[in-house]
Amino acid sequence: MENHEALQPFVDDIYTCNRTRCGFCREECPVYRVKRLETYSSRGRMLAARGLLEGVLEPSGELQEVMDDCLMCGYCQARCALHNLDIFSAVREELRAAGYVSPKHEKTAAKILEEGTLFDRPAPIHRQGTTPLYLGCAYQNKPHEVDKIVSVLGKVGIDALISDEVCCSYIVGAVGLEKEFGQAQERFRQIYGPHLAGSILTVCPTCTATLRDEYGLPVQHALVAVAQRLEGMNLVRVSRKVTYHDPCHLGRMLGVTEEPRRILRALGMELVEMEHHGTFSTCCGGGGGVLDVDRTLAVEVSKNRVRDAVAVGVDTIVTACPTCQPTLLRGSGRVANELGVFVDVLDLWQLLDEALAPCQNDPSDRNFRRR
Amino acid sequence: MTDCSALQEALVELQAFLGEGRATDSAIHRMAYSRDWSPRPKEMIDLPDIVAVPQSTDDVVRIVEVALRHHLPVVPFAGGTGMGGSVVAWKGGILVETKGMNRVLEVDPANMSVTAQAGITLWELNEKLAPYGLWLPHQPESKRACTIGASIGCDNDSTFGVRYGKIMDCLTDVVVVTGRGEAIRFGHRKASFSSTGYNLMDLFVAAEGTLGVVTEATLRVVTLPKTRLVRGWVFRTLVDAARALERTLASGLSVESAHINCRRRLHFYTHSFRQKYGRDPDVPEWAESILFLSFAGDEEVVDFSLGKARQILEGEFGGELVREQEMVEGYWDSKHRLDFVPFKQKWPDSQRQKKFGAADVGVPMGHLEEMYRAFLEIAAKYGQDILGMTVYNETPNKVSPSISFAVFTDDSTQEAVADFYRYVREMSLKAVELEGTMSTYIGDGDRLGGFSEREHGRSYQYMKELKALFDPDNIMNPGKKFESRWIKD
Repeated sequence: MENHEALQPFVDDIYTCNRTRCGFCREECPVYRVKRLETYSSRGRMLAARGLLEGVLEPSGELQEVMDDCLMCGYCQARCALHNLDIFSAVREELRAAGYVSPKHEKTAAKILEEGTLFDRPAPIHRQGTTPLYLGCAYQNKPHEVDKIVSVLGKVGIDALISDEVCCSYIVGAVGLEKEFGQAQERFRQIYGPHLAGSILTVCPTCTATLRDEYGLPVQHALVAVAQRLEGMNLVRVSRKVTYHDPCHLGRMLGVTEEPRRILRALGMELVEMEHHGTFSTCCGGGGGVLDVDRTLAVEVSKNRVRDAVAVGVDTIVTACPTCQPTLLRGSGRVANELGVFVDVLDLWQLLDEALAPCQNDPSDRNFRRR
Repeated sequence: MTDCSALQEALVELQAFLGEGRATDSAIHRMAYSRDWSPRPKEMIDLPDIVAVPQSTDDVVRIVEVALRHHLPVVPFAGGTGMGGSVVAWKGGILVETKGMNRVLEVDPANMSVTAQAGITLWELNEKLAPYGLWLPHQPESKRACTIGASIGCDNDSTFGVRYGKIMDCLTDVVVVTGRGEAIRFGHRKASFSSTGYNLMDLFVAAEGTLGVVTEATLRVVTLPKTRLVRGWVFRTLVDAARALERTLASGLSVESAHINCRRRLHFYTHSFRQKYGRDPDVPEWAESILFLSFAGDEEVVDFSLGKARQILEGEFGGELVREQEMVEGYWDSKHRLDFVPFKQKWPDSQRQKKFGAADVGVPMGHLEEMYRAFLEIAAKYGQDILGMTVYNETPNKVSPSISFAVFTDDSTQEAVADFYRYVREMSLKAVELEGTMSTYIGDGDRLGGFSEREHGRSYQYMKELKALFDPDNIMNPGKKFESRWIKD
């Protein structure tokens, strides 16, 4: 057996998968749905991991491409009892150690480490307030959406404090850049240190799961806080038939599946469930860094998700993730001609903001500071 | 040893019409098809030479033409959950990934019929049928992964066999690409049966791809039941459970599923209950067997059926209704709903130390007790950890044992795995001695071929001639049916 250090903690899991072969992970894996080759399903990847361990497979650019085509959405893990995602990250770590890593992922990691952010920001967002709200890179890049979120929080009595922050660096760890992920965590703790003692509200599902599971921080997704405060609020009800797309990290990893649905019902929406929903929802196509390395695959996955919505007779998807919404919209645009319908993808925060009665305060929030 | 230049030429020819993405000799992709669920030494890897992903019958015809030109084996691969090595390409060749053919071609509610490509899973097909109020009742426990083609190829068990039979009872027509490279329609279109000609379609059930690749199937489907109810009864002997079931069927009741489990298998369910609820279920110490029944249909009929069944099972055979319905629901989760707790699906953790394996022999009901006693002796003789016996019933309205004599086997060394196959060998011989069969739901795979001549006698020669008729060059899944890697004379 080859000595692949990163895989050693998972040898038992890998052989257990190999000898179990139940295949429950396979058919609904969003990548397998597109590729239709076992290699791209979880149990196929597990066999690849075994191949590496036994020297049947050598690290290679081709293996790296196969492993990079994983959305890390966790569907397989929810259908299993093994550490599927950790194993896929460990395989990527092994590949990286052998010199096989996507230049895009390395560039992303370098940017995060150097600049503390995944994207080029127009201007860092700051706001005076009392409850720390960690936005994450995607929302830092969406000031308009942040206005809505802060407005909603204000209307339910939460005074959001937005301060200096750096990227949670989820993507660095997920693609197997373990050492860099450790450095990034240290940096996060330095920058966000003043708020680490108390509870932190979050809005990006991926950041929330990362800060909870990798950093061990007591974070709460802001939608949960809002759902807890909605009762008795004055809501403008909207009569509309919609479906809700569970972001993988919010629904599957954090178990926040009921709160968004409760909010939608409170808004008067008729909620129709897609075949894959809740814990067993399927990815929008934007997960695991696939958007960076295989945009074609990401778009095909997003098109399948839009088809899921059309299959249950709705033309509006509501979601609550800064990655899912644009990714699904991209898929919707690509598949509109095929389906004969354009499926709109709406942000739950926006719907909430429109439905909640305006605050008594001046609607122009003077606590924002944008540099 | 396959000729390398022939492989290279074959690959180029395959890629010319399938495209590079759907025909590959990459070790990574071949590795993903290197085994099924059969017991084998954990380090054993069987790599096909090429993986091809057809999307249509025409694609398969062209693949077989390439294989014929270069004398390469063609191994159809489907769910990959088989327990006998049927899809393992241990002689190399072109592995045909049939799941690229997964379209429903026609749903015909007026004729209660569906036609689909053979690579669709049973689960997905039923999702497509549900909006029509229909379902295909052939439902093995592997249905999330298992395809129509796999069910035809290995003739696997169905949870609902005692009411609807197995795949053969649903199948009315198939399209097969034979070893001659011809796509031929066999069967009787949408009619349920035919007495013209020979029933050649039936030959493809349990053929394990050795006669051809099934690419399309037309199946008789049924109406989804409005209500279902599942209950369990314990009995003092195995024979009591079997006779009680026979009497229940004779009463005129329509039983939807009927599984008899031995005491040891019963303990599997009590153990699962204990793990979930933190206490022992209330099951009498004297229980030697448990009979699980389900009834389905209109509510008043289901209610009546339960009442009548209780009268027979409890009043005439001394059975006791299992009071812990949660235990029964746990059993039903395993058999049908596959509704496991997220992130805690039971299969992987049950196989960390040892691997599940089974002798799947069949004996007539009068020999059940004797076969069970032999199972305990033979499994112990070869050092197998006994999990227990489950008797599936797979013919409509009859006690018709298709039996899983399940063990946990050590797959850490070649010799330990050899012991498992010694266990299967002796169980197979015992079953034949008891007027039964060596396999009821797994098939020959790479374990019973050749050895099964002991069961079939002179008819085995006719099988060989049939094989030559459909596959004169012996390219279709070689190493199966007439040859074994594990069990020799």
